[in-house]
Amino acid sequence: MAIPAISDQDFDRLTRAYPSDRRYALAVMQDMQRRYNYIPPEGLTALAEYLNCPVAELYSMATFYKALSLKPKGNHIIKVCDGTACHIRGSVNLLNGIMAALGIGPEETTEDGEFSLELVNCLGSCALAPVMVVDGVYYGKVTLESLPDIFNRLREGAAV
Amino acid sequence: MNITIDGKPCVCEPGEYLLDVARRNRIVIPTLCHHDGLPGQGCCRVCIVEVEIRGRRNIVTSCVYPVERECAVFTDSDAVNQQRRVVLALLRSRAPEADRINRLCKLYKVPEYERFASKSGEKCILCGLCVKACQSLGTGAIAAMNRGVEKEVSTPYDKPSDDCVGCGSCAAVCPTGAIEVKEDAASRAIWNREFRLRICERCGQPAGTMEELELAARKSGAEPSALCGECRKKAVADAMAATYGV
Repeated sequence: MAIPAISDQDFDRLTRAYPSDRRYALAVMQDMQRRYNYIPPEGLTALAEYLNCPVAELYSMATFYKALSLKPKGNHIIKVCDGTACHIRGSVNLLNGIMAALGIGPEETTEDGEFSLELVNCLGSCALAPVMVVDGVYYGKVTLESLPDIFNRLREGAAV
Repeated sequence: MNITIDGKPCVCEPGEYLLDVARRNRIVIPTLCHHDGLPGQGCCRVCIVEVEIRGRRNIVTSCVYPVERECAVFTDSDAVNQQRRVVLALLRSRAPEADRINRLCKLYKVPEYERFASKSGEKCILCGLCVKACQSLGTGAIAAMNRGVEKEVSTPYDKPSDDCVGCGSCAAVCPTGAIEVKEDAASRAIWNREFRLRICERCGQPAGTMEELELAARKSGAEPSALCGECRKKAVADAMAATYGV
């Protein structure tokens, strides 16, 4: 996957809505995460300059929040629930199935940059257990058989 | 206002921190994360004491406890010693290589607790004094990274930081000597970065890194000093002596 380089123009667009004040650091970083699927190092340095605060402070925030990633994430983010209900309904098998199908473990990204896998604690949809969320779309009562189909459709970019 | 510490009458202003009052009266309370220049950390909890107000006793953290009413303070009671031993035992498990903690453990006769797993090779207790020192200098090159058991103090991406001036303040305030500084006659290495030292024109001793002298010069609006701290003092004294004809 080609990681988009962050240009001055991109950066201006990211920070346009926010005044140059430290308290907007998290908001800008969330936007950055959404736009690039990670916090690029040059984005972090540019933001530090814009907000007039040390890079270390922003880096510290970026490593603290799980919603922010310093490593590039894939185009599609798969969240597999391993809450109590999903765990009992076989989320471990589901996770193993996904790991086998994509060749990645939790917190990893496929080499083609298509998928990132995350293991989360509860998605609040226990009735749908085992559940996974891909790009905000919920897949309930997922079976191992249905996985290849879901991934293929996501790869082709079809609306699911 | 009058209070007693271990039975000794002490005078203090309302709002003064208990630790400061005790130290002024030569009463020893051990501390780790306290530094006079950077007060208010209050995280190591080694400085706990017992305060009695109207017959009620409470354990408080003396370095951040403002004295607001008359009270009796006990720095060496059974409750204090017992809790301090647990605090020290936990700190020792966290940083088994820290000599100062080991010395305190010996002093307060802290027993070995098998159930706390030790973090081998660690010296840092994550008190955050170094981060505070760096921030208050206006450099902010280091910060606490990650969280939970993975938390550590470091530079961004663990790489040499452009913000760091190599002043070594972080290492100077560290209570447990956890920050590694290597220095020889011409250079100083800290936080994975090497700094060239400026040599004092008068005595030939290192006066500091180029970067830190430039930062100081920028802040004060003067030329970077060519002298070390000692020689600068002497130079000022000489100038004064010449002015007043002593």
